[in-house]
Amino acid sequence: MIRKILIVDDSPIARKMLKSCLPKDEGYEFHEAGDGREGFEKYKDIAPDLTFMDLTMPVMTGYEAIEAIISHDRNAVIIVVTADVQMKAIKTVMESGAYMVLKKPLKREDIQSALLKVKDTLQKA
Amino acid sequence: MQEEIILSDEEIAILQEIMNISFGKSAADLADVIDTHVVLSVPFIKIMQVHDLPTYFKDHVKEYKTISIVEQKFWGRFKGDALLVFSSGAGKELIKMLQHETSPGFESDPIDILERETLMEVGNILIGACIGKLAELLKDVVTYTPPMVVVERNYSDAITENRYDPSSTAIVLKTDFCFDKGGVSGFLFLITSKDSVTWMKEALRLFIEQYE
Repeated sequence: MIRKILIVDDSPIARKMLKSCLPKDEGYEFHEAGDGREGFEKYKDIAPDLTFMDLTMPVMTGYEAIEAIISHDRNAVIIVVTADVQMKAIKTVMESGAYMVLKKPLKREDIQSALLKVKDTLQKA
Repeated sequence: MQEEIILSDEEIAILQEIMNISFGKSAADLADVIDTHVVLSVPFIKIMQVHDLPTYFKDHVKEYKTISIVEQKFWGRFKGDALLVFSSGAGKELIKMLQHETSPGFESDPIDILERETLMEVGNILIGACIGKLAELLKDVVTYTPPMVVVERNYSDAITENRYDPSSTAIVLKTDFCFDKGGVSGFLFLITSKDSVTWMKEALRLFIEQYE
């Protein structure tokens, strides 16, 4: 079950865009962070069921934040939401333990199917 | 100098995100063609008087001994000038990266022609994909002039001070990049004038409206 969602992106607009694509009637509790370090700190505080992570961010990149989060919680479910769709970027984050990669700009249907997949994974765990 | 407020903070943030998506697309297009990974950075938007542009450029490239520039003008409802500035030696490094793609005829060309053509090709991909995506997201269609290339010059020779109307206002969209090999780095500057602002404000509103 997904209850707490953490969104890590330096762009407030990107966070707003992402939130708007998530269903409103599921009672999700949203938490936000503006860079990888803040994202990691919030992750440790709130232990979200699902984290959306940008890659290109100041202070601490998404790549570094994913590694930090996975070291802290190897079962973390992290969906990377990025404009960096180079093969090497995708390969790197998947090898670091990301759950999947979604390309910006987001489409509602991509988010919906990602959520279904995460729910299914969490149910089986 | 105080910035003229022609775009709100929210409009600038939307434009920044659109630039991020657009340059991400061009980096991926380039990575499909040459064996490299382009390390991206957070894009930056600045509104300034055109007469401040030369100093602004200079501040960004002063650490490079020489620079190479690929320039393309573009016009639609979004119109302006794209300047892709590469660090010293970028042309020769890019030739090495493209080596496996070259034909025997290409290899026989003199190095300065190879360098110019390589920079033009890479510039064309990065600029075209970035502006094309930006225009697509803002529901515009743009056309381009052919790319012009300046190879390995000093900053003062490469960017002439009187290239823009000094009395107008410019919106500068900037992103830095570096390649994971060969030490190639640089900046992409998109310079658009205040003339595009009325259209741009409406286009940005329509873009974000999809996510309300």
